[in-house]
Amino acid sequence: MTDDIAYWFSYLTNGKHLTWYASFQFTIFAALAGGTLAVVFGLIGATLKNSRFFPLRLIGTTYSSIVRGVPDVLFFLFFPLAFEQAVEWLVATQVCSPEAIAVQTAAWPPCKEANWFLGTPEYLILASVSLGLVYGAFATNVIHGALRSVPHGQLEAARAYGMSAAQVLWRVHIRQMWVYALPGLSNVWMLIVKATSLLSLLQIADIVLWADRLGAPNFLPTVGLVHEDWRWRYYLVLFVFYILVTLISEKAFNAIMRRAGRGILSEAQ
Amino acid sequence: MERFIQELALFAPAVLFNIYFAAASIPIGFVLAIGLALGKASSNPWLSRPSRAFVYAFRGSPLFIQFFMFYSLALSFNVSLWKPWGVSWFVLHPLFIGPLVLTLNTGAYTAEIFYGALRAVPRGEVEAARAYGMSRAQQFRQVIWPNLIRLAWPAYTNEVVFLFHATAIVYFALPVIGLQKDLMITAKELFERDYNAFLHFSVAALYFLAVSLVVFFLFGLVYQRLMRHMPAPPRMRFQPKWIR
Repeated sequence: MTDDIAYWFSYLTNGKHLTWYASFQFTIFAALAGGTLAVVFGLIGATLKNSRFFPLRLIGTTYSSIVRGVPDVLFFLFFPLAFEQAVEWLVATQVCSPEAIAVQTAAWPPCKEANWFLGTPEYLILASVSLGLVYGAFATNVIHGALRSVPHGQLEAARAYGMSAAQVLWRVHIRQMWVYALPGLSNVWMLIVKATSLLSLLQIADIVLWADRLGAPNFLPTVGLVHEDWRWRYYLVLFVFYILVTLISEKAFNAIMRRAGRGILSEAQ
Repeated sequence: MERFIQELALFAPAVLFNIYFAAASIPIGFVLAIGLALGKASSNPWLSRPSRAFVYAFRGSPLFIQFFMFYSLALSFNVSLWKPWGVSWFVLHPLFIGPLVLTLNTGAYTAEIFYGALRAVPRGEVEAARAYGMSRAQQFRQVIWPNLIRLAWPAYTNEVVFLFHATAIVYFALPVIGLQKDLMITAKELFERDYNAFLHFSVAALYFLAVSLVVFFLFGLVYQRLMRHMPAPPRMRFQPKWIR
């Protein structure tokens, strides 16, 4: 009995497992950074969509409808790759000599000096920006709708007090908007949490990649077969992990909504 | 321009795989969802608790993990079950596992939509049906179901488009067999060959957009047919919510 416990304890705390536990930080970082950026892009998008200047309004509308119209995976993969290429192209225009370009045989980059190597931290940041861009389009719509739900009288009262347009926007309109945006933003947050499972597609050694490596049949020449194919157990752990995150987020958002809705929303009891 | 048309032709067989995954999972998911929604609304805890748990679990976890989990689960039964029965070529095939997982996933999401619509069915109509002496089955067939499907249809359309978008990750989780490649894998392989991200990914995106618009059009026609008894048929909003 105690032997069993000791065995399982040492199995679950071996180096690879510790790396797996540590890789949860990538998922959590991507979710938090992606969520924050999504709100930022959502605010920018909603402001553009509300703009009185037609081209800006067009940009806002195009952003929110195009990005939402294609699968999130597609944009999630496309943005980091395209960004990396754009940077490499910019660098290439500066550093590549014609001889270096002539020597280069591969299709990309234009010359060897322009190559930009991306590791896990860089990809993680790009992935977060990508998540922010994709789900910012969803947040744009949520915030755009919330801005329109703020009672008109509140804005008129603010204007009657002699506030400038910017003051009305920042001190009254956006402050009161959050209560109406929270249910939609909670949906967007759930989508972001679920989308963090895709990090491994960008070569980030995240929880999914490690679950796959740890679960694969483990054969050591000195010990023999340590365990057979246990991948489904590791994926089951991740399955439960994501359900728990959803559960906790739901509870947290309900608490925030109750607190933010004090005295404003009668439904939010 | 010529390059672009060639590219469109290259992706044409690939889009069929995405359409297959969606078309294979939507009808079964629809039936599953009706059962789950009724189970969730049931007063019998032996029915409502499992349905509730199923819907919560599949809506609360990423589809990507669900694919990996079911595929590895199927793999682990390979030696003990599928091989002796001689069905492993079928059970482990992505064209089977893919629709299976998508069915369970869309079943859960659709069940939530139907459950919401079920609770929005006017109480008075159900009471009137009961007052006429209709049996439970008659009530469902004649009163509840027609109301439910009309209430749920716009949200269900949205879910179908979302499911079609979700087919993009099938082959990132399951093995690609031979030339059976969907839009994303085709785009990725072409990108790895000539590093032209803008062309390949845009063409894939165009295909996704085009099929989504067709789905909206067809489901809009069905909605008009469902609503043909209304004096002014309410048109389905052409700008969908795209959020699950």
